[in-house]
Amino acid sequence: MRYFAGIDIGSTAIKIAIIDENRELLGKKISASGSMFYKYAKEALAELLNELNIKEENLVYTVSTGYGRKLFKEANEKISEITANAIGARAAARAEGKKEIKTIINIGGQDSKAISLDSDGNVVNFAMNDRCAAGTGKFLDVVALKLEIGVDELGDYHFKSTGTPLSINSTCAVFAESEIIGLLGNNHSIEDIVAGVHYSIARRIIKLVKRVGIKEAIYFDGGPALNEGLVNAIENELTKEIFIPKYPQITTSFGAAILALESYEYLSNQN
Amino acid sequence: MGFAQAKGDNKMKRNIETPKDKQNRHKAMEAVAMLDKIRHDFIQPPKNMDYFYDLYEKVYCKRESLHAKSVKVGTMCIQVPYEIIYALDAVPIRLCNGFYTDDEIGSDLAPSKACPLVKATVGQFSSNNFSDKPDFVISPTTCDQKSKSGAIIEDMGYLVYDMEFPRTKESEESREYWRRSVRKFTKELSKNLGKKLKKSKLKKTIQRIGYAQYLYHQLNDLRKEPNPPILGKDIFLVTNAFFFDKIDNWIEATQKLYEECKIRVKNEDKTHKNSPRIVYTGSPPIFPNLKIPLLIEQSDGIIVADETCSANRLFNDMVSIDEWFLYDMVDAVADRYLKGCTCPIFTKNNDRIRRVIDLVKEYKAEGVVYQAFAGCQVYEMEQRSVIEAMEKEGIPILYLESDYSPSHLGQLTTRIEAFIESLKNRRRRR
Repeated sequence: MRYFAGIDIGSTAIKIAIIDENRELLGKKISASGSMFYKYAKEALAELLNELNIKEENLVYTVSTGYGRKLFKEANEKISEITANAIGARAAARAEGKKEIKTIINIGGQDSKAISLDSDGNVVNFAMNDRCAAGTGKFLDVVALKLEIGVDELGDYHFKSTGTPLSINSTCAVFAESEIIGLLGNNHSIEDIVAGVHYSIARRIIKLVKRVGIKEAIYFDGGPALNEGLVNAIENELTKEIFIPKYPQITTSFGAAILALESYEYLSNQN
Repeated sequence: MGFAQAKGDNKMKRNIETPKDKQNRHKAMEAVAMLDKIRHDFIQPPKNMDYFYDLYEKVYCKRESLHAKSVKVGTMCIQVPYEIIYALDAVPIRLCNGFYTDDEIGSDLAPSKACPLVKATVGQFSSNNFSDKPDFVISPTTCDQKSKSGAIIEDMGYLVYDMEFPRTKESEESREYWRRSVRKFTKELSKNLGKKLKKSKLKKTIQRIGYAQYLYHQLNDLRKEPNPPILGKDIFLVTNAFFFDKIDNWIEATQKLYEECKIRVKNEDKTHKNSPRIVYTGSPPIFPNLKIPLLIEQSDGIIVADETCSANRLFNDMVSIDEWFLYDMVDAVADRYLKGCTCPIFTKNNDRIRRVIDLVKEYKAEGVVYQAFAGCQVYEMEQRSVIEAMEKEGIPILYLESDYSPSHLGQLTTRIEAFIESLKNRRRRR
């Protein structure tokens, strides 16, 4: 049996997916990127192979992607996260029996993007946040830290909000932090602030999506997709349903693994 | 493992807002953000402002209806005589809109470079989303964009009455034209509402509105003091509320506010004593678009008077009731609306310049801030003559162009801060 790996080295986490020749996802691993991307990525891959009882020589092709992809020297191929995300998302949606996806929203640790696909799954257009980390996973981290709650609790707080969600106008994570302190000072509830934060992220994301065109079905992935409050905010801003995969964090690495398989098959056929 | 095994995909049917819910949430978010700053960013607003803060929260955040049982006449401009609508047992509600949410909606129906106030008003009509929906709409032919938007709104299925308004006010012809227009409006409205205008009723409503005007003048007089007891951002809320609140509640609340402010002046409250005094003029700030007045006062200026159709002009010249016949009284009402009007739609508008200079002198202001909405041609065009007149008088003036979008606040803040600092420097050098 031959195996294929996709390694997505992001600013916050390293995501690895391993598939077999039938494109079946066998295992996944998510670990913190920390300060030594290369070292941690190698360790994580070794651990995952060990867990799955796969010998290193049976891992025949590896594709790296993400912001730190160039640091992973062992990879047979390096591709951009846009391509990998598109392929992974389509495959994941198909595996879950969903409609053909046309738009992908991805929120990562330090960037957010909207990708538009044609009916063959090719990337037609994409838009990314520029300059800074506003409206990304990092922003949610900062907010949770300021409110002294866990990032995983944000969704619960969102649904408990009973008042008007409070606007966060600053697009900068640092200024937004001081805005939040101000709102707390005016005796607003944490719930309304959290809902406001989600809506402000959602509205930024919608601007990106509008740039590439809103076409259904819409797919949302990346770590923040686990936050149901944010999902709710994005759906409300779009007034459309969006689809969250079972493992929103690893679709990009899953896409890289599929590319690994396809590249391997293509190269084998050529020889 | 594997995506295919996912069974959690339908674990929860998520509720998605309707476009109307979304619009309401956006507007509530805008309103709360503005109210929050108005309430909390300043030291000690008068306690009786709470009535107004709560009123705005009720109407714009919780979307409570104030006039559920009344016949509502929507007005598209300050020039529609409130006295006559009240005298016909209906409630006037001014529909000039300050919401960016609605401005964005209206941008699909009006040219993108049109005035944001007009776009926001059209946007609200197109979404048919009112806490108090008007039964009739009165659209005066004042500025071009408002005249044309009346037709757009009529196409949406609303009952719109175009009320003709002259473009000059010096001539006897224009005065007669406007009087006839108001008489015709009175007859049309009375026919539509199935109510007959009665002399005693008109007299009573003229007195009622006259009393509201009197109160406002009293309150305004206190702003002439060296220690003004109330900030301009609060006054804008008070005057804006007159557009839609129940008039009796408004009078009661303003009365209390006036009494409190009087005590403040007497106690020599020094909160705003050293702030540079500003006269505000130009495109009307309408809640929640109070960003320029707010920025002025956040930068330690204080607005002591204004020349706008969303505040000061509402209370020009009370109508005196010494006429004997019903339609002479209607004429007297008409005159108050034309003579006192300083709208830039008039061909020549020296009255406006005179008024601004008078306000500067009476209220001992040190500078003028002139805002024009991007797309409001008449205010943009009048900019030059007003600036020249102020320079001749040695009055510092800051001209700003802005719209409803929440961006560009940074640049506006810097310009306003620098202007206020320059006023402070002038004081030192004196």
